[in-house]
This record gives sequence, C-alpha cells and structure tokens, in this order.
Amino acid sequence: MIPLNFEIQSDEPEPFVARLTREVGSGPADFVCRSQSESRSLWCGDHGLLEIVHNGENIEGDIMLVDPENGRADRVIRATSKHNTLLVTEQCDQLCVMCSQPPKKTHLDRFKLFEEACLLAPAGMVIGISGGEPTLHMDALLGMIESVLRERSDLSFHILSNAQHFEQHHILRLCDPVYRNVVWGIPLYSSDPVVHDTVVAKPGAYERLISSFEHLLLAAARIELRTVLTATTVPGLSPLSRFIARNLPHIEQWSLMGLENIGFAKNRWDDLYADLNTDFSDLAAAIDWAQLHGIATKIFNLPLCHIPQHYRSFAVASISDWKQRFGKSCVSCRAKRDCSGFFEWHPDKLVDEVTPL
Amino acid sequence: MHGLAALTFLGISTLLRAGGDDVAIGRSISVATSDLSCDAIQSAHPAGIRFREVGDHTLVTNEAGRFAMLESSGSQSQSDPSFKLPDAIKTALIPENRLSKLAQTFEAAKRRTRAGPLDYLILVPTLRCNLACSYCQVSRAAIGASGHDWDDGTLAAVLSLVSSLSSASIKIEFQGGEPSLRPDLIEAVINAVPPATTASFVICTNLQIINDGILAIFDRPDVLISTSLDGPEELHSKQRQGDAVRAREFHKNLNWLIDRYGPGKISALPTINPQALPDPDALIDAYSSLGLHSLYLRPINFQGFARKRHASARQTDGSWSAYHERFIDRLIERNFLDRTKVLEETYFSLILRRIFQPGADRHVDLRNPNPVGRDYIVIDYDGMAYPTDEARMLTRSGVIDLSIGNVAEGWDSDARAALEAASTNDGDPTCEKCAYKPYCGRDIIDDISRYGTIDTPKEETEFCRRHLSLFDLAFKMIHSKDPAVRYSLGRWLGLGSDLPAMESAA
Repeated sequence: MIPLNFEIQSDEPEPFVARLTREVGSGPADFVCRSQSESRSLWCGDHGLLEIVHNGENIEGDIMLVDPENGRADRVIRATSKHNTLLVTEQCDQLCVMCSQPPKKTHLDRFKLFEEACLLAPAGMVIGISGGEPTLHMDALLGMIESVLRERSDLSFHILSNAQHFEQHHILRLCDPVYRNVVWGIPLYSSDPVVHDTVVAKPGAYERLISSFEHLLLAAARIELRTVLTATTVPGLSPLSRFIARNLPHIEQWSLMGLENIGFAKNRWDDLYADLNTDFSDLAAAIDWAQLHGIATKIFNLPLCHIPQHYRSFAVASISDWKQRFGKSCVSCRAKRDCSGFFEWHPDKLVDEVTPL
Repeated sequence: MHGLAALTFLGISTLLRAGGDDVAIGRSISVATSDLSCDAIQSAHPAGIRFREVGDHTLVTNEAGRFAMLESSGSQSQSDPSFKLPDAIKTALIPENRLSKLAQTFEAAKRRTRAGPLDYLILVPTLRCNLACSYCQVSRAAIGASGHDWDDGTLAAVLSLVSSLSSASIKIEFQGGEPSLRPDLIEAVINAVPPATTASFVICTNLQIINDGILAIFDRPDVLISTSLDGPEELHSKQRQGDAVRAREFHKNLNWLIDRYGPGKISALPTINPQALPDPDALIDAYSSLGLHSLYLRPINFQGFARKRHASARQTDGSWSAYHERFIDRLIERNFLDRTKVLEETYFSLILRRIFQPGADRHVDLRNPNPVGRDYIVIDYDGMAYPTDEARMLTRSGVIDLSIGNVAEGWDSDARAALEAASTNDGDPTCEKCAYKPYCGRDIIDDISRYGTIDTPKEETEFCRRHLSLFDLAFKMIHSKDPAVRYSLGRWLGLGSDLPAMESAA
C-alpha cells in the first residue's frame, strides 16, 4: 500500500500546505530538501523546518497538508499519481449498506488548505473529491472549486456526491463556465424508490435525488452515474437502464461497479455479493439498452473472465496495481494486462474463481 | 463537449423561460383547458407528435425522437373529439414527470446539429488523375496537365489554415484528382498540424500506383486509406476504363496493402450504377474475401462527368431503394448463417444510430440543421472553398458556382450565409409533418444538383424518397420478430447481443 500520511515534526503552530521540491522553489509553500536518511527527510521553507518520517518513498513533488499539532501530514496530491482524492469531510447523510468508507459525526473544515494544495497541483491534473458527503458543505465546496478553477483552468475535479443537496438556487451558480471542468459522480441504485432508499438507508433519498437531477440537468452539469453491483441492485438493472435512457440521457457515463469487500460490505458480504460470473444476464440486458441509446457504459472492478466475451469491451482495468490481486491461474491468462483483477481485500475464497483467457 | 453542453443549457433554459416549468415539451399546456380532455390536450399539443404508416402498423414519434409502433393501421384522426391517445404512446412519448420532460427537451436539443470548430477538412492538392472513369465525379484533369495542382500561394494558405486549427482533434481527407500524385503536398499538410492536435488523415486513392513517396505516408499509423472497389474484378474494370490490366494492377495493390497493414487501415466504397445493379452477393463476396466487412452503398451521383454520361442517374425511381433493401436483407441472412463476422452497410447503420442516439450527427450529409462551411470545408486545387465535395463537383461541371470563398481570404461570405439559411428541414411543410424529421437531415447540394433549385417539394425529391424508404425499412426491422433481423441490428448498433424488443402495443 502507498502511504497517504506520515509522522512529522514542525514548529509551526497552525496547519499549513507544503510542496516538497528538490530545487529552490518560488512559492511560499515550497519546501526544499535539506537532508535525507533511510527513515526520514528534512525540508526547509517559509514555515521553517519540516521533518518527515518515511521509508524512502519518493515524495518529491508531492503536496502535503501538515498538521503540526498532531504530528501528521496528509499526502493529498502525489505528483506522480493520476488518482489523487481529497477527503473533504467524513460526515454523510446516507448510510449505504456497502459503504467503503463509513462516515463519522464530526467535520474538520480544511477547505482553505485543500484550495491552496489544489492551486499547486501539477498541470492538467484531475483531482478527485470524496467523503463522506462533500455537498454537506456545499458553499465551502463550490467556493473552493471556483477559486481553484478560476486560477487554474488546466485542472479538473471529479466529485463523488449523493446529490441530496442541490437546490433550485444552485442552478445559476453551476452554470459558471468553470463547472465545465467538474464531473459529478452520483450513485443511483434502482429505478424503484424503495430499493434505492433501502440501499442508501435514507427514506426519501430517491425523491430528493430526482429533484437534484432536475437542477443539475438545467445547469448542464456533467454527470457520471454510478451503480454498485450487489444482490439487491443487480435484479433491477434492466428497468434501471430503461429509466436512465428515458430520464437521464444527458449523463456522460454509467459506471457499473463491482462490489468492494471493505467498510460495511465486509461484514455483509454474503448478503450483498452478486455472482455475476454465473449469471450476467441482468447486466447484459442493462448494458445493451444503455448502449442502444448512446449512453456510454463501463464496467469497473470485474475480472474479464467473469464477463461474457461480447461485453468485455465495456470493462475497464480499474483497479490500480498497488491494490490489485489475481488468482493463481491468472498467471497463464493472456488478458491479464487488460484486466482489473480483484481488490487486494477481495474474499480469499473467491479469488481463484477465474478462467484464464 | 464544452460548447455543446453550454448551448444545450441555453436551449433548455430558453424554453423554460418561455412559460414556466410545464412548457418544456408540451408548449400548449398553458392554453385554456376547460373543454378539452386530457387525452385531447396531450395528443394535440405539439410535442412534435407525428404519425406514419409503416407496413400495416402506425409509427408515432415526437421531437425528442422517442417512438412507438401501433399494431393497428389507420390511426384515428387527431381532430376526432373522441380521440384517445393509446397507452403505448403515453408510455413511450409523453413525459411522466418534470425530469423526463427535461430529458426529452435535452434530447430534442441534442438532435439538432451545433457545429463546433473546423475539424474536418477535405483537401484537393491536385485535380490530375491517372484514370478517367466513366462516372468520375470530380471532373479530373489529364495526368500531364499543368496548372491543376496547388501553386505556392495556395499551398502557403492551406498550411497556414491547418497550422491555425483550434480543434482538439481533426480529420483531414485528401481527395482528387489522384492525391498520391503529390505526396510532397500531403507531407507538407501533415507536418503543419499543430503538435497539440490529434489528427487523422485519409488518403482517397485509386491505388493504381504505389511508389516509395506515397508508401512512406501510408505507413504512418495516423493515416487511413480509402479507395473505390466496385465489386468483382470484371465489374470494377468495366466501370473504370474497361481496362483489365489496370484493374488487375489495382487489385494487386489492394491485396498487397491489406497484407501489409491488415484490413482495419483500409476502407473501400463501391460506386454503383443504378441502371446496372450488381448482384448483392457478388458485391459482398468481393469485399468480405478481402477481410472488408463494411460497405457503403452509394448510387452514382449526378455530378461531374457522370452528369453527361449517366443522365438517367438524376432520378432513380424506386429501384435503388428496392436494391438497398435487398442488399440489407442479404447481409442479415448471411450474418445469421456465419456468426464469425458481422457484415454491415454503413449508411443503414447510421440510419439506425440516428434513430436511437440523439447527437449521432457527424455524418455531414444527414443532419439538421446542416451547417455550411463551419465544422468542415473542402479546399480545391485552386484554393477555392466549397461547403461539400459535391458542391465542388457541381461547380467544376459548370452547373452553378457553389464556392463560398477561398483558402487565403476565408469563407465568411454572403454565399455561405445564403446556403446556410436554407440548410435545414425546419419549417418545410413536408418535413414538419414527417415522423422521421427528428432523425433526418437536409442536403441542399443534392437538391440543387438534381433539380437546379432547393424549392422542389420535398416529397418529390430523391433525397426524401430515399430516406423515407430507409427509415421505413429501419422501423420495420426494429420491430421485427425475426431473430436473424434482431441479431444483425444488435451488432450494427454495437450491442453485445440481439436488439432487445421495443415497447409496442395493439
């Protein structure tokens, strides 16, 4: 696993943003490396000295949120990674049965620091925003996005949101051209309100989501629709695909996502897991209907051998190598390079259910 | 994408501002409703609901392109006060809530073409050609003629145009004449593309001669080759110059290139004489034996030299449509028998995509409105700019000057404005009544070419007849229960399996 935070020491009283550089930097956030040993490195910048404990990982170019009081730095933007995600809050108003990152009650507002970090991001980067539910802090969130994108039109954001908090009055704000660089990743689990509400454990969530979709459509917001594949959602995929073609033809992509054995799903795996390897028919019907209507559809987190041949082109090798795992017989598979494989935390008993292609 | 979404937003908000929430699709909803039943209002209000008899069924469509097929023919007149909108239409076409209303508004807007920046160029570096085919559409010049290639000034203007392109991706097609006679000019254009632009190039060539200069260009991964293959060798030879030696030379070169690159790099088009239609199977075999599974059937165009020698091509009565249909039927039968490959006719596939997929409008001959000289342009050997290749040919053959400017001075001209104003099927009395309007397009150049005017009633034009017939065929097939039909349609539309059943009702 790639470490996303480090133990640090700094004399600065308040949290600050640090960009770690090899050469003398130009900005106030730049910290230059003064010395490095096997277990730690020492950096110097406008905020004084910063000592970071790490095992020789390359952290040069990375942007840290430094919290001196707690002796910790969050590595929020890794210069060499395409998958940087800012966890802007851990609060959430839904409690999805398969949540991979169960929410917490308290919120630590770090939007100003995130904004500063984003402004320092490498050119052209797509920055993920996740939670918790980012739009619980809508004004701070939109404020941060607008400030960053006004100065850095080369950047874009991908924001995961349950879309429970968009109101009529947000439409004009979201029409600002900076939002052409923002994609909202929004989950919809069923076209049946009862099923959707059950999955997200919030009565009325479906109705609220639909009204947000109306506002977002009027704002020409860019939307990636997400459906996690569980024993509850899979049987409803075909009607859901019809609902999407009818009501959400403007989405940029429909992402069908294999279940992750993490967070809440870990203890509910047997109830939640849908064996798509044995029965792909619901998924196939849904993909066909969406594809027919020109809705781009992608499958995430499923190994290619679980997908019938004619649907493999919809699959994305979505699991990055540092959290990826393969079965024993995958060694001889010719499609391994293009395959998502399994998550590192996929149940052991299922990892060898593979058929080399 | 940026521009599209922004404009879409404008389109929707404009509609909404016109009369509040409920106006998005049914704009007559604000009319006094006292003495009208709900069904009457819904059927009467112009959600662009239009009917068409297709076989013994009635097709109903709306402006968003949603459709339903009713099993009974002879639909009740909408003016009949007892008219009741069938449930199938309600389910398929009438929005059930605000979100689906907005969705339909979005789709109706998306079906309308919005030209982006110039990203498709057709360039004619030379008009000279080493062949003189009987149907030549481009009024070619003799191989040794002078003054039929770009001169230095024209080349400089073309390079300046190419180097200033602002689109993220562009396609540049080299036509002729025979462009492979001037690999140096092709090379110069390729090198002028801005480094940040993703470009693909198509060389439209007769493949008569392949020398080192053109081969070096073919070898580039961003270059595609397009050629004409009229069918089996004898037919190909007959339609060209009746010269069997040259036809053999072409086939040898085509085979050699397919061996060298695989079939993916090469596309071929047959040019078909409607007076001497080839046997569909012979044509299909000529293609599939080379590993080419896609064909684009096109009848001889009433242009260029073809205008003089094939005067009968002006009006093709119903035989062309019947042939096209027979051809599609054969593809369907063959696909069902041999599942190892999918044969397709690309224009019919486009028709299918236009029905199901709002925004499938990059085919410049079938879109509405059809912007002129915006996202694509043709630059001739003398630097003149034309809205389409057909417009260039029509001008070359002396029928009417359809140039809209030139490469040095641009083409933001009165001529462009005049053509563009007419380049739509909006407001046309025939089109406005037509159930296929949301899917169809407008090709004013074709009308000018055939009738010398754009005012011919639509239903009397070849364009209209040909497309009515294609859309009829498409909708019959979309609702067919024949598994062979559903098999091919599913593949042509890019699905993993057969076309699913549509909602339809008695």
